[in-house]
Amino acid sequence: MNNYIETIGIEVHVELKTNTKIFSPSKNGYGMMANSLTNVIDLGYPGTLPTINYGVIETAIKACHVLHCNIRKKMHFDRKNYFYPDNPKNYQITQARTPIGYNGYVEIEVNGKPKKIEIEEIHIEEDTCKSAHRGDVTLLDFNRAGVPLIEIVSKACISNSKEAMLYLEKLKELLFYADISDCKMEEGSMRCDANVSLRRNIDDPLGTKCEIKNIGSISNVGIAIEKEIERQAKLLDNNETFKEQTRRFDDKLNNTVLMRVKETGNDYRYFPEPDIPYLELTETEINKAIQTLPMLAEERKEKYMSRGVSLLNANKIIANRSLSDYLNEFLDTDMNFSTAINLLLGDISFYLNREEKTITDTCLTKEKMLDLVAKLDNNTLSSKNLKEIIDDILKSNKTIEEIMKEKNITNITDIYVLKEIVSKVISNNLESVEDYKAGKDRALKYLMGQIMKETKGSANPKLVNEILIEELNNNC
Amino acid sequence: MKDRLTREEVLHVADLARIEITEEELEEYQLKLKDLLDQVEKINEINDHDSNNLIAPWQNNAEYRQDIEEEMLDPKEVLKNVPAKSGNYIEVPVVINE
Amino acid sequence: MSKYLDLEITEIHELLKTKKITPIDLVDECFERIEKNKDLNAFITLNKEAAYQKARQLEQEEIKGMLYGLPIAIKDNIITKDLRTTAASKMLENFIPIYDADVIEKINKNQMIIIGKANMDEFAMGSSNQTSYFKPCKNPWNKALVPGGSSGGSAAIVSSRITPFALGSDTGGSIRQPSSFCGIVGLKPTYGRVSRYGLIAFASSLDQIGPMTRNVYENALLLNIICGKSKNDLTSFETNEDFTRLIGKDISKMKIAIPKFYVNDAIDQEIKDKLETVIKLLEKAGCSIDYIDIKYIDKAVTLYQIIAMGEASSNLARFDGIRYGYRYDHPKNINDLYLKTRRYGFGNEVKRRIMIGSYLLSGKNATTYYNKALEIRDDMRNSFLEVFNEYDLIIGPTTTTKAYPLGKDLDDAVKAFMDDILTIPVNMAGLPGLNLPIGFSNDHLPIGMQIIGSCFQEAKIYQLASFIEKSLNLDLNPNKGDKNE
Repeated sequence: MNNYIETIGIEVHVELKTNTKIFSPSKNGYGMMANSLTNVIDLGYPGTLPTINYGVIETAIKACHVLHCNIRKKMHFDRKNYFYPDNPKNYQITQARTPIGYNGYVEIEVNGKPKKIEIEEIHIEEDTCKSAHRGDVTLLDFNRAGVPLIEIVSKACISNSKEAMLYLEKLKELLFYADISDCKMEEGSMRCDANVSLRRNIDDPLGTKCEIKNIGSISNVGIAIEKEIERQAKLLDNNETFKEQTRRFDDKLNNTVLMRVKETGNDYRYFPEPDIPYLELTETEINKAIQTLPMLAEERKEKYMSRGVSLLNANKIIANRSLSDYLNEFLDTDMNFSTAINLLLGDISFYLNREEKTITDTCLTKEKMLDLVAKLDNNTLSSKNLKEIIDDILKSNKTIEEIMKEKNITNITDIYVLKEIVSKVISNNLESVEDYKAGKDRALKYLMGQIMKETKGSANPKLVNEILIEELNNNC
Repeated sequence: MKDRLTREEVLHVADLARIEITEEELEEYQLKLKDLLDQVEKINEINDHDSNNLIAPWQNNAEYRQDIEEEMLDPKEVLKNVPAKSGNYIEVPVVINE
Repeated sequence: MSKYLDLEITEIHELLKTKKITPIDLVDECFERIEKNKDLNAFITLNKEAAYQKARQLEQEEIKGMLYGLPIAIKDNIITKDLRTTAASKMLENFIPIYDADVIEKINKNQMIIIGKANMDEFAMGSSNQTSYFKPCKNPWNKALVPGGSSGGSAAIVSSRITPFALGSDTGGSIRQPSSFCGIVGLKPTYGRVSRYGLIAFASSLDQIGPMTRNVYENALLLNIICGKSKNDLTSFETNEDFTRLIGKDISKMKIAIPKFYVNDAIDQEIKDKLETVIKLLEKAGCSIDYIDIKYIDKAVTLYQIIAMGEASSNLARFDGIRYGYRYDHPKNINDLYLKTRRYGFGNEVKRRIMIGSYLLSGKNATTYYNKALEIRDDMRNSFLEVFNEYDLIIGPTTTTKAYPLGKDLDDAVKAFMDDILTIPVNMAGLPGLNLPIGFSNDHLPIGMQIIGSCFQEAKIYQLASFIEKSLNLDLNPNKGDKNE
């Protein structure tokens, strides 16, 4: 196979997280009874007209901001005309000529070096209805019709499948953290199309483009691009030509499949939407929208690491938005973030996963969390004992003190008390002391066990260990 | 200059409009649409105009709706005028997944 | 037999207020008159049961305004909940809407009684009512003639004194031209004056709902209640005024303009003569009258074809047999469902306009013609507005001819719009325009004039119109001496 230069562009449709639809006040929701989230506007009834949901404009402004796009202040909508059963008016209201955002970028890291994936434009449009195919009929559910979307169009500046995946992961993280979208590819709230073309030399014009539609996951985007490159390269190697076409990714075949060849470009008969006057954004509106952006992932990471958290753990906690949001509430405290993150990623996550709950469902108030982290730090609670009482901490409104008392857990950290117990155990087990002197490690463990037994596990093991070794050595 | 549209051109328009036309209509449109085009062509003679788009004679910019949910239709209402339905769904002949 | 419906609204109102009559008496009379005028074919659907129910309910209610208990006919492209709305098309033959148009809510709130849905050209596409799927409506002045269109049913109903009020819609002259042919007062308000929510769209940037009435004062009364901003229509506009306020006020200082295009050779001499009479009358009253030019007004019909047909082809795309309306019975596949539903559901004129619109928006045509049309339209509108910097109003004829015989060639797509060359420019510029009857032809058919105002200047139009109306004092009841006796 010859070497080719790959050119990839990616279009991403993202459903916006708003209360209502873009052009009607119906609920923007998922997973509800079919055709229960609609009104006459969503159904394209004769005589109905669109209105504009400000929540959509606000969210789109945020998207433009986090993707470093310029924001167009004066814009209008256009009609894209095509017949399809999922398209209730048989035209889609979109922004063909005045996209709200343009000339932006997303920065990714490729082999340790930063690279900007440039964004051509972001435009606002309405989603279609959902269709399910059953034998010789197709069933339509209009709950999704009119859900707000933004389409993010990258420039054809992505060099390979790895960059494509990194771009999508970064995009997902940005949009998710900015509260722009749920970005759930499995529920269709984020959908990707990839355009792939090959050419031999950098000076050649771009090769024939194939579009792969609606790929269901980021990893499949990677595979689809790889397979498509392979397919096109084979054709080019054999000096075969092919027409511009639309393909889809079949995850069973693990390959792309032809959908249709573009004979003459689609004739969408765009024209400006006469039912919606110009939208003019003010500087105040733009600033207000940007000010309400939550803290983004990058900033969170920096903040955590400045509190001594490792890069690995910082990334781990950011991967879990609700835990990260929870943690952010402690940014203005002097809580030990390393301990806190270990706790959140460890015992707390274990509990949450098992109970299928989120951190906000638990009884772990801010005070309780501070108390808990402090107790772990100053050894008043051992990690072993924590495991015993973590369920109670998260489930009940009792204080940690109360729970420890109930479970009879007192973490003995008083050195004099401990020394006394250690001396007692040593004098009762002189044989083991001899063994220890003879270099048998087992003896140390045995003595430790005896001490723990004596204290019913409430002694701080780290301290006991230190004291025991000291006492044994003194005994020599 | 040709005096009519080609058959293919007319069929393309009929396909865009999703209207089935008869052979007779097809021939009629070949002439009619061409006549119309000749007439419409005249506006290209105008070149002394200011080039602002007047999308519609609005007197105002768009005002926004607050993002607050309002009453929706009961699925029964949705289906009231639907010619073919199945359960809560609206039914059409199968759409070959493009 | 009672003849309350021949009385002035103020008189009927007095009778209702003093409880000498009840709304039911008016509804009774309406349906008697409908029965007598059956051959007009002016209604597509009657609202008899609900009308009586509303009349009974109104008897229990406090009288809120002048329009209490008064019957009204609604053009059948305005959506009425639970009352069949067909747009005179087979496509919507059995369509029972599940919501009310904004204007219908206002009509109901103001205690008017909806008598029925008026005949019209299919989807408001036509100027003679002959494209109606439910057979043409006829002209009350001569039943061999067209009533005009597309709001022909509304015009015929008001003209024949079945109801004193009707709502029409006007995209290129659809209120004013039939008003002229039938001898009534019809206003196309300023674009944005009346909410379009619930008006089945033909051309969104041109459509307006407007009042059709027996006289100027009653026209202003109806506009008073249907106007205003709606949260459902982004293109609607808030105004708070009484449109009757200038009626009867002095007009002697008015500066009036007549576009030279409005006295061109295409206009019947009879019509020009009647207009001349009015001009003399106005000059005598102290108005100044000048002939002026408006840029590209002669191109308005061409621009209209591009813009109105383009928008229409998109607006009517939703009629596909899936969510409502006619559906072809046994489609072979999804595409066949579209093709056949639209082939058999739409009439010829509608299909022709959709084809034209699709063609003019397809491929490169959109950029070559459509965008250019939008630009020239802007210029034409500005030219109109410049005239209004100097003049109070523009006047001219409404139509080039009087009502013509039914069955006249429908088939010429280009010529069909020639009926509307004097009304279309007003829609293109978004201005208000009113038809006022100003006399009769030799064969006693009504002739109308058009009064055009600047944006939101309807009150001023009424001011001049009422002056002319009073001066001419015409008898505009076509039934005089016959059947309603």
